[in-house]
Amino acid sequence: MSSLAAHYFDGRHAQRHAVTLVLSGGRAKIVGREVGVEFAARRVRISTRIASTPRWIYLPGGGACVTDDNDGVDRLVRERPMQRIVHRLEAHAAFAALAVLLVVTLFWVIVDRALPFAAAKVAEHIPVEAEATLGREALAGMEQFWLQPSQLAPEERAALAAKLESLAARAGDPPAYRLEFRSSPLIGANAFALPSGVLVLTDELVKLAQADEEILAVLAHELGHVRHRHVMRRLLEGSAIALLVAGVTGDVASATSLAAAAPTLVLQTKFSRDNEREADAYAIDLLHRAGIKPHHFAAILARMEAQAPRGPMLPTFLSTHPPTGERKALSGVK
Amino acid sequence: MRVALLTLYSPALTTASPRGEPLSEQAAAAGERVVRPEFRGSAREYFRIWIVNLLFTLLTLGIYSAWAKVRKQRYLYGNTRLDGDAFNYFGSARAILKGRILAVFVFFAYAVLTELYPVSIWAFLTAGVILLPLILVRALRFNARMSAWRGLRFDFPARVRDAVPLYLGMPLLVAATLGLAFPWFIAKHKQFVISHHAFGISPLGCSMPVGKVYGIYLRAGLIIAGMTIVAILGAAVLSPVVVVLPQAGWLAFLLPVLAIYIAYAFAYAYLQARVTNLAWQNTYGAGVRFASTLGAIDLAGLYISNLLAILFTAGLAVPWAVVRTLRYRMENFTMLVSEEVVHEASPELLNISATGQELGEIFNVNFGI
Repeated sequence: MSSLAAHYFDGRHAQRHAVTLVLSGGRAKIVGREVGVEFAARRVRISTRIASTPRWIYLPGGGACVTDDNDGVDRLVRERPMQRIVHRLEAHAAFAALAVLLVVTLFWVIVDRALPFAAAKVAEHIPVEAEATLGREALAGMEQFWLQPSQLAPEERAALAAKLESLAARAGDPPAYRLEFRSSPLIGANAFALPSGVLVLTDELVKLAQADEEILAVLAHELGHVRHRHVMRRLLEGSAIALLVAGVTGDVASATSLAAAAPTLVLQTKFSRDNEREADAYAIDLLHRAGIKPHHFAAILARMEAQAPRGPMLPTFLSTHPPTGERKALSGVK
Repeated sequence: MRVALLTLYSPALTTASPRGEPLSEQAAAAGERVVRPEFRGSAREYFRIWIVNLLFTLLTLGIYSAWAKVRKQRYLYGNTRLDGDAFNYFGSARAILKGRILAVFVFFAYAVLTELYPVSIWAFLTAGVILLPLILVRALRFNARMSAWRGLRFDFPARVRDAVPLYLGMPLLVAATLGLAFPWFIAKHKQFVISHHAFGISPLGCSMPVGKVYGIYLRAGLIIAGMTIVAILGAAVLSPVVVVLPQAGWLAFLLPVLAIYIAYAFAYAYLQARVTNLAWQNTYGAGVRFASTLGAIDLAGLYISNLLAILFTAGLAVPWAVVRTLRYRMENFTMLVSEEVVHEASPELLNISATGQELGEIFNVNFGI
């Protein structure tokens, strides 16, 4: 026979009664000054142990006993193995330290490997046509504020388009794209891959380039974005990261939402840099297949950076592109 | 304000005098017994539970998060004592898991579709506005019924149709008045949520003085406006630095943003503290009234120090932040008992077993009250 001190509530009135809980011969007896009830022990349910919070003993019919004597309860009943393990893990500082290491490692594996892999797999199954509306609206939006019709001679445009076509054909699995020429004094020399495979090339970039190979190198990079579905992947990865970060910081007050927004931003720019690196690698590979020297890529990157308007300098962890030095090294330029 | 949920009745558990000074014993009328909740948890203990929860959640790709939530709530409720007795949380992990799976699907659909087809945001907004009364009532009911004290469950007996006029009509009114009706909406919202809560069959009553809510919002607006002007002047002073030191350019950009953030945090804390204090001051139950003494500066300090601690520890300070915020809120909540009433259970809830499996509930959302 074993017994422990507890408080009894009948479940109908919010009134506490001091009782003794006695377990003997398969019966649970609750005895106090105003209380005397008895149940078959197997019909009694006991709450799982969580740190030193009070333990609840739920009785048939809606009544309950509660006690702070956790060890006493553990002597009376054995918890299911899983519950015992969880409580034991939660009780030890050494395991908490190990858990921190495991969480950091797992978090990194998920962010660096699992998520990009899953996003790439899912993106493959979403048809490019799904991006058509977005691509159209992105181009229309840019035309409204940043882009004007191209001033290049039609023959020059046709020649560049033909060169890009033969370059793309060198890729084993060329993505569907549409090349658009625009002039943009505001943006300057640049090229973009918009959703649904729209490539925008500015007249300024054509003028800045000293050889057609340089233009092709930039377009090959943009083609890399299209081939690897970076628009769709960034969308999926961004949503997943927001969810993951909210899961970690979720129970802190909403005024602290910056605590969720800042790491989300940092992780999202990491994905952006990873995508740029992937597009760079694609470009270098494609140039190599077409017999174009990769130093053209480094040369045009250097010239674009030199003429770009000087904005405030951002540290790498907030930047959407990898450092130019790293990208030059990739092109085999020291 | 998820942390606030635990305090007493599930939604809005915070209380204080309007100015935020501690409630003196004299404030209690003759014959009133002063009862304060007491939080016995520690950041150290909660950290160990939190990190195990997080580890298992990552290992199971999120599935365990429902069980994690139950353990967390049971830890925080179990460590909260009011008049000597701890609270109890009955939430079922299976019910929570169902809700979370649905929420993740809706979230991804929203994130992807609104990006690909910007027009679809209107469909989501419309659905959200129409479903709001339903989701709000069901979520509050779930949270209330999963919370108990002295063996008695809380309840939220409002019907969805009671919530329709306020939550369907108000967004339209707020939009039509360009936001001028917003403080009125907040006052009515608090009043709706608090006055539909009950402990067993003992209901709470609340009537918010709308004029005072407007005063609070007006002062919060002035705080933001004033601090923004200071931030803009600061940016103007700093701009020559950018010319001289281009490398420090991002800093000159960051500092004014930081100042505006602090202004926002302070205004937010001010609103939270004053509106919560006002709400509890105007809340009554059977034989009991309430007082809340949250201070705007205290709360703002909590928010900002929590934020910094969380950022600089890469999230590891979250449990500490949760525990200290909760403790502060409890210290500033007071129950003034004038008549010792033995509260009785709602007959409707008597047949719910301790596991609460019958309350298959997918709308397990926390509303910031």
